Amino acid sequence: MQTFVTEAVDWPDNAAALREQVRALVAEHGERDPVRRANSWTKADPEFSRRLGDAGLLGMTWPKEYGGHERSQLERYVVIEELLAAGAPVGAHWIADRQSGPLLLRLGNEELKRRWVPAITRGEAFACIGLSEPNSGSDLASVRTAARRDGDEWVLDGQKVWTTGAHVSHFMIALVRTEAGSERQQGLSQLVVPMDAPGVSVKPIIDLTGAHEFNEVFFDNVRLPANALLGVEGEGWRQATAELSLERSGPERYLSSMVLFLELVRHARTENDPALVALVGRLAAEAWTLRLMSASVAAKLARGEDPALEATIVKDLGNSYEQAIPQLVQAAVDFGAADTEVLRSVCFYLLQVSPSFSLRGGTREIVKGIIARGLGLR
Amino acid sequence: MSESRRMLAEMADPLFAELGPDATGESDGARIDELGLPLLLVPESEGGFGGDWLDALTVFRLAGYHALGPDLPAQIVGRVAEAGSPRQFALMAFARTAQIAGALDAALALSVGYVNERRQFGRPLGKFQAVQQALAGFAGEAAAANCAAVGAAQALDREDAAFEIAAAKLRANRAVEIGTTVAHQVHGAIGFTQEYGLHPLTRRLWQWRSEFGNDAYWSRELGSKVVAAGAVAFWPDLTARTG
Repeated sequence: MQTFVTEAVDWPDNAAALREQVRALVAEHGERDPVRRANSWTKADPEFSRRLGDAGLLGMTWPKEYGGHERSQLERYVVIEELLAAGAPVGAHWIADRQSGPLLLRLGNEELKRRWVPAITRGEAFACIGLSEPNSGSDLASVRTAARRDGDEWVLDGQKVWTTGAHVSHFMIALVRTEAGSERQQGLSQLVVPMDAPGVSVKPIIDLTGAHEFNEVFFDNVRLPANALLGVEGEGWRQATAELSLERSGPERYLSSMVLFLELVRHARTENDPALVALVGRLAAEAWTLRLMSASVAAKLARGEDPALEATIVKDLGNSYEQAIPQLVQAAVDFGAADTEVLRSVCFYLLQVSPSFSLRGGTREIVKGIIARGLGLR
Repeated sequence: MSESRRMLAEMADPLFAELGPDATGESDGARIDELGLPLLLVPESEGGFGGDWLDALTVFRLAGYHALGPDLPAQIVGRVAEAGSPRQFALMAFARTAQIAGALDAALALSVGYVNERRQFGRPLGKFQAVQQALAGFAGEAAAANCAAVGAAQALDREDAAFEIAAAKLRANRAVEIGTTVAHQVHGAIGFTQEYGLHPLTRRLWQWRSEFGNDAYWSRELGSKVVAAGAVAFWPDLTARTG
């Protein structure tokens, strides 16, 4: 048994230049407030997204025909890990660039692709994912939001919940039941829903920090053209779960607390505390390992493999890491001491948002269940 | 994996499996010598195998996987680094990292095999969620140790690997704790017997965690480096080391 076969990642020749490009862009237009730099892939800044689009850093791997730049998967990986490590506010376009665009390009009809993909690459169209419902969370196959055919149109009714970024998004890719009376994974399809379609309404859900990132989304007799169907009718489940490796193993799964780690390094330099130095060492070793694991999965994906088990392991370990950092910093640092305001603010912010790290994109329990199945245990 | 490395693995794997934990240098050293393995890292021009550090990783990992009795990694490192030198210490830390990675994978394989066979309450232990979740956590730790070992080997083949060896040994050390705990827990009492083949792995894992730098040693080493370089340098340094 070998749990994780790693081979050398063939980093692009222009990686260093790309890193410089991103660092310069973030230095000029990124977020300065360290608290806002934490967990930055949930921070929407449409203006920053448009700048990335102008710089050719959105839709990097997509065909030029649709506004993409036909660059390699690993070039894109370099760009996104730089953005996240710097705490850049990438939340507005994150989902569209990571998965909605690729899904549209893979399965979308020509009208859908023309309508949305070029706009995503310009940083002008943002997307959200309609999966969870009030009675359908981890048990995703229990979705009840339904679309029925009426002549040339779909008529959509129901509700999604915990929809990240619905309030800044231009469209949703929703998993809905298109076959009346169907059960579980059967009879589901994906529909592309413009957020400004009549009958779509968005209601904010305020999180425990007072921030507005996720929402309830209601569909009341929403009429969509036939071509709103993404891919094949009835294949929604398979389509929605097919590319989860992309979503699970990205650098966003371990870098959400990187800004706090860096503040800890800064603080440890001014203190003469061996415990802080040791903590820095431990967290640095983990960051180095996780980066290797995440990049290794990215390299396999770039070669056309689907390292589903490895990707899931990256998410589990990465989430635990980014979740542990604020707890460990709190345990090690005396916040009563001088010059700890920034460290304390970032730490307390992350303590509050970090419970979400092992919920979003699949709970820790679901993720570990998938790993167990990969090991041959179910 | 390169063709020569695959051949190396195909040569070492069955021999190590056959020799196992009870082999000794006195009785079985000749069989290892026969294959030229102690000369793995000695250049071909000097009559050696001319292997690189990824080759060494392959052999060290298999030595760990089969809990090989004789300390072949120490022999191999001894041919290219002076005993007691800082370089030998660092290279042995790498060797133990690779052995930990192999032994964790072997203990995980034993554990998965056991829980799929052993039935209680009318079903295999592997059907219980509590057991599944524990083993999934173990798999993550084994994966991390394996990745860390590969990363250190790649760095050794590239350049100075002081940072990577420190990070890799520290990460592998930490994996020992969860790995050995879960392996014994899911095995129940049988795993605690001399008869059963888990202890040759777990007892070595505990030993290797201490040898050539325990957690405290490497976290201090690595932490001092990172703190001295400063927060601004951390990410650029990390990425500059790979690409």
